[in-house]
Amino acid sequence: MRDVYVIGAGQSPFGSFPDETYLSLFETAYENALESVGGELDPDRIDEAFLGTLGVGGRQIGLSSPAVTEHLGLHGVPTTRVENACAASGYSFRSALTAVRAGTADVALAGGYEVMTDTSADQTKWWLGVSGETEWERTSGTTFAGVYAQMASAYLDAYDATVDDLSRVAVKNHGNGAKNPKAHLGFECSLEDARSAPGVADPLNLYHCCPTTDGASAALLASEEVAAEFDGPAVKVAGAGAASGRVGLFQRESLTSIPASVQAGEQAYAEAGVAPDDLDFAEVHDCFAIAELLAYDDLGFCERGEAGRLLREGVVDPDGELPTNTSGGLKSKGHPIGATGTGQVVEAFSQLRGEAHVQVDDPTYGLTHNVGGSGGGVTVHVFERTEVDA
Amino acid sequence: MSADRDVANDLAADGGSAPDVDAVGIETAAIRLPEYRLSSEAIAEAWGTSHAPGVERKAVAGADEDALTMAVAAADRVLAGDADGTTGGGAASSDTVDPDRVDLVVTATTTPPMEEGEFTPRLVRALGLPTDVATATLGGSTAAGGEALARGLEAAASRTALVVVADCPAGDPAETDHPMGAGAAAFVLSSDPAVSVGEPAWHVEEYPGIRHRERGAETVDTLDITTYQRTAIRESITAATEALADDGGPLAGPGLEAVDAAAVHQPNGSLPYRATGDLPFDPEAVQAGTVADRIGDAGAATVPIGLLAAVADANGEADGADPDGDRRSVAAVFGGGTAVSMACRGTVSVAGVEELDAGESITYDEYLRKRGTIVDGEVAGGGAHVSLPNWQGSLDQRYRLVAGRCPECGGVTFPPTGACRECHERVTFEEFEAPRTGTVRAVTVIGQGGAPPEFAGHQQRDGAYGVAIVDLGEGDDEITLPGQLTDADPTAVEVGDAVTATVRRIYEQEGVPRYGVKFVPEADAE
Repeated sequence: MRDVYVIGAGQSPFGSFPDETYLSLFETAYENALESVGGELDPDRIDEAFLGTLGVGGRQIGLSSPAVTEHLGLHGVPTTRVENACAASGYSFRSALTAVRAGTADVALAGGYEVMTDTSADQTKWWLGVSGETEWERTSGTTFAGVYAQMASAYLDAYDATVDDLSRVAVKNHGNGAKNPKAHLGFECSLEDARSAPGVADPLNLYHCCPTTDGASAALLASEEVAAEFDGPAVKVAGAGAASGRVGLFQRESLTSIPASVQAGEQAYAEAGVAPDDLDFAEVHDCFAIAELLAYDDLGFCERGEAGRLLREGVVDPDGELPTNTSGGLKSKGHPIGATGTGQVVEAFSQLRGEAHVQVDDPTYGLTHNVGGSGGGVTVHVFERTEVDA
Repeated sequence: MSADRDVANDLAADGGSAPDVDAVGIETAAIRLPEYRLSSEAIAEAWGTSHAPGVERKAVAGADEDALTMAVAAADRVLAGDADGTTGGGAASSDTVDPDRVDLVVTATTTPPMEEGEFTPRLVRALGLPTDVATATLGGSTAAGGEALARGLEAAASRTALVVVADCPAGDPAETDHPMGAGAAAFVLSSDPAVSVGEPAWHVEEYPGIRHRERGAETVDTLDITTYQRTAIRESITAATEALADDGGPLAGPGLEAVDAAAVHQPNGSLPYRATGDLPFDPEAVQAGTVADRIGDAGAATVPIGLLAAVADANGEADGADPDGDRRSVAAVFGGGTAVSMACRGTVSVAGVEELDAGESITYDEYLRKRGTIVDGEVAGGGAHVSLPNWQGSLDQRYRLVAGRCPECGGVTFPPTGACRECHERVTFEEFEAPRTGTVRAVTVIGQGGAPPEFAGHQQRDGAYGVAIVDLGEGDDEITLPGQLTDADPTAVEVGDAVTATVRRIYEQEGVPRYGVKFVPEADAE
């Protein structure tokens, strides 16, 4: 198995762009990824592409990814659309990683795209809702927010965490996102703002929920040999983990944990040979504030049930021991479903290159954590700044 | 109850007043009323007047309730036996009724959920009755309730008949709607009755237009030709009822003068007294069988519910119930062209009879919303519906919580499809029904505008609703499933609260309503 490096990563701005299409958004992300490579990468060297999307509002479900590579001039490149709901591009990244590791590709493009703001509220609810379990959960009248709200209700009941801890996620992530020019909701918010927001699905309010967003992100993965051709700090994929989980929340033993996160995290740590203590930063899936708390627990950032403490004590602040979601997270940066997983990779790449908007002091290890649905599929990747030994 | 109970002992025990050995009649019975009540005062306040004489308050079906869900709930009760375990003055009605015993199901309603579409088979499926059961679905007029009882009694000599009458008529909000209520009554009729019922007497005459619903209309109308209508009702009821005294049966001997309670056609609370003007009934007797004063006009179900109020034993807290159980009652049902009367003797414990005087008061605007009067109920945006064949395939789970036990590891899987949740082996599950009571493990409230498109119509009518993940049962039998909360203030439900499963309408897709389990918080439950 070959070592794999991220040699470039870029994203489009995340937000609401009525004049853009999923093609043009991905084009921007792709160009930014190419520009981030330390030197000129001839696109002809891209052997394969894996692109994630839920389905851009239903407009182009069949063959949307080949439409994207066609738009980029990547003629003839084998292109696979990856759909694992909100973990679509976490999985597209994993597929690209696997191709390069296996030697079937020396350079692979991973990415994702989504257009979510040009559909009606009902259509958006339909698209998001069908990523949950449809036979029972959906027919109980619940929504995505509702499912995470149920987890929140169980978590707040089981542990010493409060609604204010949920609000602290918003305060922190908006604080970070305000410094990220590509963030969808790039403004700061106070704890009082977050406390007084209108309710969405009790106990979650508007500030506990990420926006629906248009955007695209891309990462270029390469073998060690190829990576050695380019300048700049090398960003190695040190560890990868992925797991599927029960699609329906009601089908799980625990409602206060996402087992697929635990499993994917353990795999990624083991492969990278690191422990949570070794991490210098993390980008975790915070589609709803409770998801970020669950991630702290599931990824071993703290003892189970202690997530609220990390927020209260500032452990996950930019100047804390484990800065988390320095990009602004899904909450502030935005959550263009298919683009989210590789969007996290963009932040990890920037951090390890020393180019992040909220830069962590001299980081070596960073983690990305991408959740599909309410936990039906998860990827975790550990990145390491290192030397290329080719 | 056992089919071969010792009649002689029963006769001795209750002073010889028990039904005859070859009698047929009501073995056990139950009432189901919706949770909500609207006062006539609130109607009068809204319209300046109330066209609901003698009705103080009426029962109002919830946004997810209809004739079918009320029928299921009433029938569930009657098959489960008396909920509080008290035994009646007659048969041992606390016993459950084995569904396999039921070989005839007759339902009646003037408000089936679909103008053409199966009603009774849904009930049969929800109750887990045998698939070879004979069925009949009656409707068309308020006499349907009496016709259903007559059909059941006819068969009861040799069969066990389940008769369920459920109705929720609606009218023009400014006029005919004022008295219209809702409710359901369920009877198990057999040759082992607590209340013996004599052969019904009929009077048939064409009286068109007393009350009618035009083709395609949602609301009931009346010509409001006062004298003509009163005459039609009084004459028909008198003719059918007088015939009862002539043919022996429960009134043998003392005749109509001995009637303790009369449940008579009651589109409002006053008419029964007028309708019995030519019969020798005391006002107290009419009062004992009148329920329209408290639940309004429940269409075809009003008289059957009134009959059960009249024959409910002392434990059932019926008005003026006779403690010795030797009560003589008459039920007189009128449709428009059909009157059918029947005489009863005895009392029975009636599950749910206390709901006549219970319920949660709602305001008039809440009422209009629940009825869908002021919302369009249109489902926008398509919706992620489960197609009918797939829904059909899950009915045992949606109605009766049928789960699977793994023959390899003993683990429980719900729904019982796919690999075992515990050991991940693909096995053939041993099926079992999970208990219908449980505990909330997680809960949220889906507020206005937050519902999936296919639930928007429901939310318009019912407002914010709760969705919980519920553990049903305990230990080795425990299953977990998500479901809507109903008949509840969703903001008041917390993790750890106790809930009970009930069958309600989930949504309508492809023009077909779908039914399944929802949860009622225990504090609000029966």
